[in-house]
Amino acid sequence: MIARGLQRLALAAALAAVAACHPVLSAETPAPPGRSARLDAVDGFWSVQSYRLELSQGVAVAVSCSYGGPCEKLTAASDNAAIAEVRAAALQTLRPVALSTNQQPAAVVVIVGKAPGTTTIRLYSHDGNREIAVTVVPPPGAPSASLASSPAVAAATTPPAS
Amino acid sequence: MLASTLVTAGAAAAATGCAMGGALHQATLVGQCAADDAACSRRHPQAPIAIGTHFYPEVSTELAGTTTPNLRLESVAPEIVAVEDGALVARKSGASAVLISTDDGSIVDFVHVWVAPATKITLSRRDGERIAGPIALAVGEDVTLVPALWNGAQRLSGDGEAQWRETTTGGGGNAAAHAAAQAQVEITTGPVAILRDGSADRRRLRARTPGRATVIVALGDVQATVDVEVVP
Repeated sequence: MIARGLQRLALAAALAAVAACHPVLSAETPAPPGRSARLDAVDGFWSVQSYRLELSQGVAVAVSCSYGGPCEKLTAASDNAAIAEVRAAALQTLRPVALSTNQQPAAVVVIVGKAPGTTTIRLYSHDGNREIAVTVVPPPGAPSASLASSPAVAAATTPPAS
Repeated sequence: MLASTLVTAGAAAAATGCAMGGALHQATLVGQCAADDAACSRRHPQAPIAIGTHFYPEVSTELAGTTTPNLRLESVAPEIVAVEDGALVARKSGASAVLISTDDGSIVDFVHVWVAPATKITLSRRDGERIAGPIALAVGEDVTLVPALWNGAQRLSGDGEAQWRETTTGGGGNAAAHAAAQAQVEITTGPVAILRDGSADRRRLRARTPGRATVIVALGDVQATVDVEVVP
């Protein structure tokens, strides 16, 4: 009974290892108030297939790459740097490596929204590659215009019909 | 137990540079201010920069095991905030990330900088005390006034080339003083002389002759006035 359980556990671990054959990305910084910098995973059947990022124009976000520990030899490129640019970041932080007691420098890139549009950021590392579908959105207009265009606010401020 | 935990957490925060204003907690931008200049925005998070003004930042970092490398600033949206000779120039309302990077382009940190229009100017003394009414001076006395820019209740930062001029009360506009202000030279007519002291926006008012005057400070469409009475 115990042996069967261990077999199942080993099988699950093996499947997880196969499924998780790409690095994991994480947002490291928040967006400023009223702006967007949201990184979402696009799930596939077994695991995360890719990522998508909604970023406001003029905003920067730091994204880290890990694969048990920080990704090794991380580089990145943008398909259209006029829409979203990606740069290497020098983060002076050590992160733990899997089950070992060792630590290694965090692997981080900074993505900046340059102009509204969509493009793809491609991350390459010795631990695998990742793609981020980036949508750069324009900054909101004047606060009053934004509130007026909000359905929730409009509903709250519209007097009931008599 | 709780106290020791808090102390440990505080020490850890200090060690990792959590006090820094950058998004990555490694660097920040503060204003280049004199220690005794209460009106200067040497604080973080810094205030929005007023449109049409310059902000002269000082980059400070907290990187363990290294002195600060040579850093440069770069704006993501130059149409909102431009970087000119190391100064941030506020061009239009909005927000833009200002990247702090090394010479090889690696980003050490970044700060989102906001820009807003000035809707009000207030005046204060050098020590920060706000001018809320007329000023009386004896001949030979002087007072240094510092304009502060506001957007509603929000204090703005940035050095603007505020225009200072003096009108003598009851006499209508002082054309000579206005012309002198436009030419940015010392005003030598009227009860008060408006003197530059090396800063872009601060002025020293020196009482010259008995009389009354109104000193007007304007930046773009907004202005502030203060009545000055000079007594013998």
